[in-house]
Amino acid sequence: MVCIRQATVDDLLAMQSCNLMCLPENYQMKYYFYHILSWPQLLYVAEDYNKKIVGYVLAKMEEESTECHGHITSLAVLRTHRKLGLATKLMTAAQTAMQEVFGAEYVSLHVRKSNRAACHLYTETLGYKINDIEAKYYADSEDAYDMRKTFRLKSEKAGSVDAKSDKAVPEKKSPSEGRGGVGKKGLDSSGIRRGRNDKAEVKTTAATPESGEHDGKEGKGGGGT
Amino acid sequence: MGASLPPKEANLFKLIVKSYETKQYKKGLKAADAILKKYPDHGETLAMKGLTLNCMDRKTEAYDLVRKGLKNDLKSHVCWHVYGLLYRSDREYREAIKCYRNALRIDPENIQILRDLSLLQAQMRDLVGFVETRRQLLTLKPNHRNNWIGFAIAQHINLNPEMAVQILGAYEGTLEDSYPPDNERYEHSEMLLYKVSLLDESGSPEKALEELNKKEHKIVDKLGLKEQQAELLLQLNRLEEAKELYKDLLNINPENYGYYEGLQKSLGLSLRQAGTQSEDGRVERLVELYKELAELYPQSSAVKRIPLDFLEEGAFKFAVDVYVRPFLRKGVPSLFTDLRPLYKHPGKADIIDELLTQIEFSLRSTGTFPSSLEQESPSTILWVLFLLAQHFDQRRQFDIALEKINEAIRHTPTAIDLYLIKGRIMKHAGDALVASSLADEARSMDLSDRYLNSDCVKRMLQADQVELAEKTALLFTKEGDQHNNLYDMQCIWYELASGDSHFRQGALGKALKKYLAVEKHYNDMVEDQFDFHTYCLRKMTLRAYVRMLRFQDHLHSHRFFHRAAASAIRCYLQIYDFPPKAAAEEEEAAVAGLSTAERKKYRQKLRKAEARARKEAEDKAKEEETNVSQSKGGKKAGQASKSVDDDPDGEKLLHAEDPLGEAVKYLKLLQAHSHESLETHLLAFEVYLRRQKILLAFQAVKMQLQLDSDNPDVHRCVIRFFSTMDKLSAPETSADNLVRSVLTVERSSLKNFGEKSLLEINQSYLDVHHAESLQHRVAAAEMLFLLEPGRKAEAVSIIEDSVNSPVSRGAAVAEGVGQWQLKDCISVHKVLQYSFQDADAASRWRVRSAELFPYSTYFHGVRSSTFGEAHGSRPMSNSSTTTIHQGADVLDKSTSHSANGLINNLKGLQMK
Repeated sequence: MVCIRQATVDDLLAMQSCNLMCLPENYQMKYYFYHILSWPQLLYVAEDYNKKIVGYVLAKMEEESTECHGHITSLAVLRTHRKLGLATKLMTAAQTAMQEVFGAEYVSLHVRKSNRAACHLYTETLGYKINDIEAKYYADSEDAYDMRKTFRLKSEKAGSVDAKSDKAVPEKKSPSEGRGGVGKKGLDSSGIRRGRNDKAEVKTTAATPESGEHDGKEGKGGGGT
Repeated sequence: MGASLPPKEANLFKLIVKSYETKQYKKGLKAADAILKKYPDHGETLAMKGLTLNCMDRKTEAYDLVRKGLKNDLKSHVCWHVYGLLYRSDREYREAIKCYRNALRIDPENIQILRDLSLLQAQMRDLVGFVETRRQLLTLKPNHRNNWIGFAIAQHINLNPEMAVQILGAYEGTLEDSYPPDNERYEHSEMLLYKVSLLDESGSPEKALEELNKKEHKIVDKLGLKEQQAELLLQLNRLEEAKELYKDLLNINPENYGYYEGLQKSLGLSLRQAGTQSEDGRVERLVELYKELAELYPQSSAVKRIPLDFLEEGAFKFAVDVYVRPFLRKGVPSLFTDLRPLYKHPGKADIIDELLTQIEFSLRSTGTFPSSLEQESPSTILWVLFLLAQHFDQRRQFDIALEKINEAIRHTPTAIDLYLIKGRIMKHAGDALVASSLADEARSMDLSDRYLNSDCVKRMLQADQVELAEKTALLFTKEGDQHNNLYDMQCIWYELASGDSHFRQGALGKALKKYLAVEKHYNDMVEDQFDFHTYCLRKMTLRAYVRMLRFQDHLHSHRFFHRAAASAIRCYLQIYDFPPKAAAEEEEAAVAGLSTAERKKYRQKLRKAEARARKEAEDKAKEEETNVSQSKGGKKAGQASKSVDDDPDGEKLLHAEDPLGEAVKYLKLLQAHSHESLETHLLAFEVYLRRQKILLAFQAVKMQLQLDSDNPDVHRCVIRFFSTMDKLSAPETSADNLVRSVLTVERSSLKNFGEKSLLEINQSYLDVHHAESLQHRVAAAEMLFLLEPGRKAEAVSIIEDSVNSPVSRGAAVAEGVGQWQLKDCISVHKVLQYSFQDADAASRWRVRSAELFPYSTYFHGVRSSTFGEAHGSRPMSNSSTTTIHQGADVLDKSTSHSANGLINNLKGLQMK
């Protein structure tokens, strides 16, 4: 019915259209570029049988914070494509990638206090908890819930992320993969954790969804080898 | 830097540079002034002061100072570098490159300047230069990772992936075995995956796979790894392994259609090879495969949907039945959209028709699905009706569609989606006004849902209610002190829809304004890549980066850009054909034919509008003033002042001095990026014919013939072209002579023209498409009239004798429904009205079309909201030229007037 797959650069224009169609918080194209060129694994789209993008999730890693964690920048599904569980599938995919690829310990997001449907999805279906309330977070001065979902550490039990991938990932290791197995996987992912201060020069790329732009200027020198 | 200064000033100079880098411009300025007090002619200080002022948005001063500084110190690489930075900040990249090159002549090994140069070269796709600069950087600083990667990237995009692989290999050679450290794992992993993709691209899938397997433990993107492995295995024809891997991927995500495609390929069952139906047992094998997959992934909807594509007849019917039931029970609004592609498969629409009718009947009579005992909840019939309404809409059976959706609304008046669909049906049936008010009703049922708002705005624009649409959109686009952020947020669909509406209403300036805004967005997107040339090297997201570069290279072939550019060209063509009058004349024309009282009213309205516009402008200016005073840095203030638009209604655009010259600008972009589109060459023809560029016009005709030689618009262009040539006076110069003889030769070799006259060519075109196609007949008739104005009656009867034959069984449209579509009949009406200027024929056509399309407001059909209103058949004052303006919609003032009247009525009825 609807394909769930990782987004590519070619999807960004359609994602922006989808966002403008259904959400009040919008971003310029550069912000989409910024996401896909920083964390290409964290963008997913829902594409219908006519090849139209009907939903997406735009997520990022918060690299400045003390704990390595992901953040959902934006999630949208067209009204015409509700009731298919697309939001859940998109979120699950992005969350899995956050842990697997970037070693996130938890994921955070903001949601309008008045958005009951979304709150329900996050707390009931996806297991988020309210962490804080941010007063007047939105442009129209509505408050936001700051929600979080903590991922269980991988080393405890491989792939026990959430119901869906829990079922799917670990038990079916194909032979062609050769070096499957829980131990190996645990080792890998525990090592992925990204350092906090490994990239001093990343600092200037601070971009907020509110401003919809980022300053890509860099300091001098690159990461030396 | 600052070398010629004494120690104290030299330190001050360093402070300027530092302040510039840390954006403390005021501090920098102070330091610069301190130096200049003592050394007023110091070139580098003058230049740096200029650069600082540039960041505070004092552009003119900035350029003056930098140029003065340069003049005082032509041998300083700093001055040249600064000059380049200034140009760069104004996006004058070519000039900037020149400056950098001068700077490098003085200081050839300056890393910073080389790096800046490489960015511009990447941005401008000066690939040879880019490779060279990157080579220099690597030579100078081989211990920097980024210099290796940058060189590899340069080689790659300069189409030398093999070299890029070697460079990356050499770089890897400098690393220790234990590399990477924990905090570099992601970057290294991305680099490895990039290298694998390079190997693949350079035609060595074996090596790519080998590398992938060897480095597997260092790759953290496990999903990307598997996807790449699977693709490579397919390429290498190691199908058994590929199959296993795709099954593995499906375990992770059973809703990714790409994985099913991959799996099918590994089994030699790709749907892409669907033409090869003859292959024995293919369908049977697919059936088997999906039966197996359905057991493995019972939750997947893909596994149930895909077989509908290859199943036929009875098996298809059974499968659709099983497929739709759960969605109908659950009330999934997108079910129809999901099934819609099947309507193109011959015969499937009829089967769906049969099935849905049976389901409806069964639910009504027993409350169950056919041959089921389970009682369904009352909402099931609602969603069946919802599906049926869209089904009949698709089949152009609008009466039945409306009957179904109305019943659904009676069943559950609170279900918002029903109104959206009813609106869509009304739009298809030809009543955009009712569609708009239905969308507005839906919107009012949940004001917090932006989708409903957007849908409504779209419908309002389709109904040419521009002001209402703007107001409605504003409910979601006010942001803080910002009046409207649709433009800032690059809301392209809105700009296109609004432009189209203005265009239909003849407001060409406003239309252009919107279309050119879209063009601007695309330019900004090109600009967006600049910062990423450095950013991605650091982030190592190289696969995504290269994809972005390629995306950028094709950005202007995106359909939104194509639409905007094509529409802008149409605007300019119309401006050229009907040059706009000056304001006073315009007012005179508008009031002509009105009574004195009406004139007074009209003028009053005009004055009020002016006053309102003034007030708005003042408010805006005030707002900006406060912005300026609030913001501390100079930069923000500069942005605010830039956003003042001195031509909000596109008046200046409308009075362009050389509208065809403007059109050529956009035409060139279309020719470069939408070469495969017929529309590009139709527009090229119109532009070049008007510019009297005969050979270019002819080239356009040839391209058209190559793309779609039977197309009615192409036929029009062919005839118009040669008839214009025939009418030209005798050639005067030898060049003219040459052109003519070339054309004579070319003409005889086109299609089957030979020595035929244009009339004969036109006649044979008509004969070939005799009875079948309305559009072809109209084109032939119109051209007959163009060639022989005396045979008007004959030409009109070619149109009027056309038969609307019924669609036969098996098509998407229901059997028995007429072939003609509403939009075709409207364009025929316009031809009769404006090309033929035959009011009687147009009126007869209107009556006939109104019967076929009773909901059409254009034809004032009996069930339309404009029924009973006088039809605007007032001929255009100077429409003789419109004979040849294909595609250029001519303003029909009287229609839009009556529509406006009605909008107000509707508003009263619908607003709650």
